[in-house]
Amino acid sequence: MSQIISDEEFRQALHNLDATQQRLVAAQFVEHVLPLSNEERISRAVKVAADKNASQDELSAALKSAKAATMDSHTRCGSEGNWTEQAGYFVARAAVASLTPAVQSKSNPAWQAAMSSRMARTSLLIDDESSEISTHSENEWQYDVLSKFLNS
Amino acid sequence: MSEIEFLSWIRGPGFQIATVILVAGVVIRVMEILLLGRKANLAEAKGSEMSSGLRTIVTRSIPDSSTFKRSTFTIVAGYIFHIGLFVTILFYAPHILLIKDIIGFGWPSMPTQIVDALTVVSIIALLAILAHRFTNKVLRYLTNTEDLLVWFVTIAPLVTGYMAFHRIGMTASTMLGIHILSVELLMVMLPFTKLMHAFTLFIARWYNGAISGYRGVQS
Amino acid sequence: MSASLERGIHALKEQVDSTVAAFFSSCVHCGMCADACLFYTETGEPERTPINKTEPLRRIWKSEYTLFGRIGKMLGLAKKVDEKLLADWETLVYDSCTLCGRCSMVCPVGNDIALMIRKTREGMAAAGHAPEGLIGATTRAVTIGSPMGVKWPALQAQISHVEKDTGLKVPVDVVGAEYMLLLSSMEIMNFPEFIEAITKIFSKAGVSWTISSEAFEATNSGIQIGVNDIAAELVQRIVDAAEKLKVKTVISPECGHAYMAIRWEGPNLVGKPFTFKVRHILEILDEFRKDGRLKITGKETQKLTYHDPCQISRRGGVINEPRNLIDLFSDNFVEMPDNGKMNWCCGAGGGVSSNERADEIRLKVFQRKKDQLDAIKPDAIVSACSNCRIHLEDGLEEYGMDIPLMSLTETLAEHLADD
Repeated sequence: MSQIISDEEFRQALHNLDATQQRLVAAQFVEHVLPLSNEERISRAVKVAADKNASQDELSAALKSAKAATMDSHTRCGSEGNWTEQAGYFVARAAVASLTPAVQSKSNPAWQAAMSSRMARTSLLIDDESSEISTHSENEWQYDVLSKFLNS
Repeated sequence: MSEIEFLSWIRGPGFQIATVILVAGVVIRVMEILLLGRKANLAEAKGSEMSSGLRTIVTRSIPDSSTFKRSTFTIVAGYIFHIGLFVTILFYAPHILLIKDIIGFGWPSMPTQIVDALTVVSIIALLAILAHRFTNKVLRYLTNTEDLLVWFVTIAPLVTGYMAFHRIGMTASTMLGIHILSVELLMVMLPFTKLMHAFTLFIARWYNGAISGYRGVQS
Repeated sequence: MSASLERGIHALKEQVDSTVAAFFSSCVHCGMCADACLFYTETGEPERTPINKTEPLRRIWKSEYTLFGRIGKMLGLAKKVDEKLLADWETLVYDSCTLCGRCSMVCPVGNDIALMIRKTREGMAAAGHAPEGLIGATTRAVTIGSPMGVKWPALQAQISHVEKDTGLKVPVDVVGAEYMLLLSSMEIMNFPEFIEAITKIFSKAGVSWTISSEAFEATNSGIQIGVNDIAAELVQRIVDAAEKLKVKTVISPECGHAYMAIRWEGPNLVGKPFTFKVRHILEILDEFRKDGRLKITGKETQKLTYHDPCQISRRGGVINEPRNLIDLFSDNFVEMPDNGKMNWCCGAGGGVSSNERADEIRLKVFQRKKDQLDAIKPDAIVSACSNCRIHLEDGLEEYGMDIPLMSLTETLAEHLADD
């Protein structure tokens, strides 16, 4: 499998994965941006997502917990937005995506997890322009991860 | 004062005074509303104000099924006594004669038994409505002295009219006098109370339809 | 501007016009408005009866604008508007009302009660009796340009993310573009995918559009708090930008009150008709559909329903357009019981979700939406307002229901046919 270098290839390759593979790859995307969130529930949820042998019950419980964390971390309408904290919201959404069964998701969940992870990175950048990692490098990092995953 | 004096005062000066107060009062109240005016709407219209307003005047009398389920008692009881009032006032032979005296023409009347039955049904509906005002949480909260006063002046003509027709209570002429007095009380109260809705609801419904219709929604 | 009771009373007086007078003259205390209001039906608390919320305005109308009321006032018989009344009414006028307008559809004498409550807010706000959260949002809107403090560089970052993801250009400050898109801070912060969706759709549709760096905010906090002057100032910024860029149409995004503010209240707030058109994004997308500019492929198989955002459907007039659009990607669509102009409010609009004090009641009244959903058991809910969306998600989560929310615009973008 050649190196993925574009979003089209990336999305298509993710789409072709089965449910478990999507979850495992998505978990990797989310783990990369985990430091942007300080939500205990999310790190635990991502651990479950990354576990190849996680049971259906464990996955459902993790999903529920991640959803609750997403609701708690969104910026309420009209309140003062903080982009650094908002990154945590996107990490939570990425975690939710990684745990969402493909049938419920409107497009492939791993793709959504990737998008939300990138959003988390962008969020941080808005507050801190000097950040070392730019969003595009997040994309490239994700392409790398997927390429390695497909080759293994 | 003798019965005859009472009755002729009621039918004469009493009626005149009540009419003047009613007409002057209604005119004042309606002018008060219209003279306030409202600003022209500068947004780009999506629908017509006039036709939507006129339509709402009619359609607002027809609740949708969901609303009907939730407010069944209010709607049904309300319709019963309104229809009852409408029929008893305008389709009872002696009333039509009175009107004919004033405006010069009349129209066919309804059989007295029907008017009679509708009177009873309306009285029952109004009694139920009063009970509802005290047992329903929302109504208990909203109801004030005016509501009770208006209730009284609305039911009084129905009750006294019934009594007069069936020769219950006092002598026929006294009862008739009391009935007409109760009507004059209603006339006099009308401009000062929510009874004005009989006139202003056309304005309110039109505004509602117009405002909504401007935005392309039939309300 | 400092708040005071005098300012409040003055503001209420300014709000009385022939519509207000006709409405108050006609109310017969029938209580039907309560049966139509989810803040009453789901709490059982009679103070939340819609017409009751207008009491401050009613007292002013009675004692200042009716002959008999004025006589009564001279005789010392008038009910006053004082600090206590306004303080007591704050949670009724703000926490228990989203200005959804269902009461206005139901009142048998034809009262537009939501309009009366909107007018009452003018007095409440001028007297300093508006909720904290809204005051903060409004201040930020005026000073920063966004109620949530979103500045242009933040939006630029989102835009550049979108451009990198899609390989498409997001046009900024383009003079002579046909459309100028507004965005709500809620979308920029919580649902930035919306921007990507628009970019893709508009690119495929082949129309010229732009975002203005000077006026990108759609949310109008002035409308929510009820201060016409602030609402006017916020609208004027959009007008200035639209005229500067010489656009033909300004597009209001997936935010309910923003549409009401710019489309219907806008020109009246600034005192002049607009020289451009204003349309909701759904109206534009439906136009694209009619013109054949929207090539959609693939169907959603899950059972979908549509939640009508009150300010867009019932109060806004955009009712059929979303349904036409959903038809493009769904053959499995079911309406909620009470849909279209009679749909029930999500419970969060009109400033309620900005108000932390109202959190408990907001989640409580969600029961009404829950009942609607339980009746049809959809697999997913489509809507077109980011505030409804986040609140529906919040409510569903609170009640343990697992029904995903879909933005109509984003779903269309996902189904765009490649050419």
